[in-house]
Amino acid sequence: MNEDNLISRLARVQSAITLGTSDRTPISLVMDYKFPCRHKGITQGEHFRNQSRGFHALLEIFDELGGWDIAFTDTMTTPIRNILEAPMVIKVPGKDIPDDDVIQWEETEVLKQGDYDRIIELGWKKFIADFYPRFRGWGTAEYQRRVEQKAGLELTSIRAFNKQWEQRGIPILGGAGPFSPLMMLSCSRSMTKFMLDIHRTPDKVKAVMDAMVSDIISVTIQSVKDSGIEPPMGIPAALIVLERGGCGYFPVKVFERFELPYLKQMVEAFVAEGITPILHFDQDWTLNLPYLKELPRGKCIAQFDSTTDIFKANEILRDHICIMGDVSASLLSLGTPDEVANYCKKLIDVVGESEGFILGVGCSVPVDAKFENLKAMIDTAKTYRAH
Amino acid sequence: MSKLSTALANLEEEKVRTLVEQRVNAGSEPMSIVNELRQGMDTVGERYKSKEYFLSELIISGEIFKEAMAVVEPLLKAGKKGEPLGRIVLGTVKGDIHNIGKDIVATLLTAAGFEVYDLGVDVKTNMFIDKLVRTNAPILGMSGLLTPSFQSMKQTVDALKEAGLRDKVKVIIGGGIVTEQVGKYVGADAFTSDAAEGVEICKKFVGALN
Repeated sequence: MNEDNLISRLARVQSAITLGTSDRTPISLVMDYKFPCRHKGITQGEHFRNQSRGFHALLEIFDELGGWDIAFTDTMTTPIRNILEAPMVIKVPGKDIPDDDVIQWEETEVLKQGDYDRIIELGWKKFIADFYPRFRGWGTAEYQRRVEQKAGLELTSIRAFNKQWEQRGIPILGGAGPFSPLMMLSCSRSMTKFMLDIHRTPDKVKAVMDAMVSDIISVTIQSVKDSGIEPPMGIPAALIVLERGGCGYFPVKVFERFELPYLKQMVEAFVAEGITPILHFDQDWTLNLPYLKELPRGKCIAQFDSTTDIFKANEILRDHICIMGDVSASLLSLGTPDEVANYCKKLIDVVGESEGFILGVGCSVPVDAKFENLKAMIDTAKTYRAH
Repeated sequence: MSKLSTALANLEEEKVRTLVEQRVNAGSEPMSIVNELRQGMDTVGERYKSKEYFLSELIISGEIFKEAMAVVEPLLKAGKKGEPLGRIVLGTVKGDIHNIGKDIVATLLTAAGFEVYDLGVDVKTNMFIDKLVRTNAPILGMSGLLTPSFQSMKQTVDALKEAGLRDKVKVIIGGGIVTEQVGKYVGADAFTSDAAEGVEICKKFVGALN
């Protein structure tokens, strides 16, 4: 086997996305600070007090595991994140919850029903600019000052971190992580309130989503451009966060009206700009899978978290969309290396058989994954059916 | 099925509100109204099982049911409630604040006639044990959506054994990432990632106990 480098790794992943052949199944672990900090004895709260600690721990873990083919990177600064992620109440370790607990988002009504008309009137970007200072309890000028200051520090950190990947010969995948309009509203209204909104005032919800999507698209595209990610150092990508629009939550007729049209708009706009959409499917989307054939062939990655039947996804979507996944959080936390390796081999045999497959974890590496299980994943990907 | 049951099964909020008000004003026996609401929820459950309804319909029906019960329950005289079908202590475990799944299960169990002692989220082991002892509830339901919740669940089951309660309490765990492997690790009697299935399991527990 030739020694890997930035070019060969990038080519392997690009081949999977475009449904071409390659020397072996590519692997990428979506890993943030959580597991590395826990494994290195750094509390979750310590990462929030000093974010470089978590990032350095991640790079150490990467090196100790023998690395993977492409690194998911977060390039969003706070001003961008505020527009592309749902406004929610966040419980930060060491501040709101015990120091070594995992960060969590509270299911509570942040956006009120009255905000719907305001979003329709202003569009999403202007609404957020108006909303966040009130949400944080600061004046607009004070909010602006704090956010800009934070963004400056974040940008420095992001650039330094991405340089580390380049020095290791690892391409990066990223640029922005927008929520879909449905996911945004469900998280910010709270799931129950949003479901009642769809039930009681569906036309209003539709009008709000119509008013949101163009700003989500334009800010995503700008964020990806500003990240500077492009070949050979990486693949410009937008990770579209999708969970609450699938059959795990709603009947297909709701997906058809309130999720699919916006997903298509987002995907088509990103693809036109040379941005790879990563469809991050959390929870069950099995009944929705056939609709993904309406998306452009060989341009997207569909990432599953082990709740959707990935083998069914393969039957329906092979030769149309690159599939990524789906070693589950439970298996990584409780399983043995042999169990993990055997499942990875099954994925490579079945889903990888038609190319267009990237081995990955379900969602992201859990905080209490076993190191040896992650090693088993990586070693299996690099050696099993490799030529 | 009565008009009220049908309206609830069809998620017709206004109609349920109106019918409950009419029945209360007409002096209907409150327990008869509760039973009809429960029948409506049973139909919702059947439609969910046949995949006509999804999680959203479970949640919406639960909200309509709770609103109706808020009107009727205060009218139920003490002793007229009848014996509950079963009793369960329920909560999301320590370190986890996810509540949606637990809340749906609580509503569905109440609709099915269970007495539910909902301890909320981030519940420590000793709180579960204390409540089980004080209520003599024979079922413990633990919810979690993060992998650290597995440890909290296991600790609670171990604490049940230490307290000499394990043989008296059936344990069911639930959550999106819960699998058979997790169930075995924790030492639970049952596991599920589906709220409606959780209710059926609890009904079987009660059947087995009786």
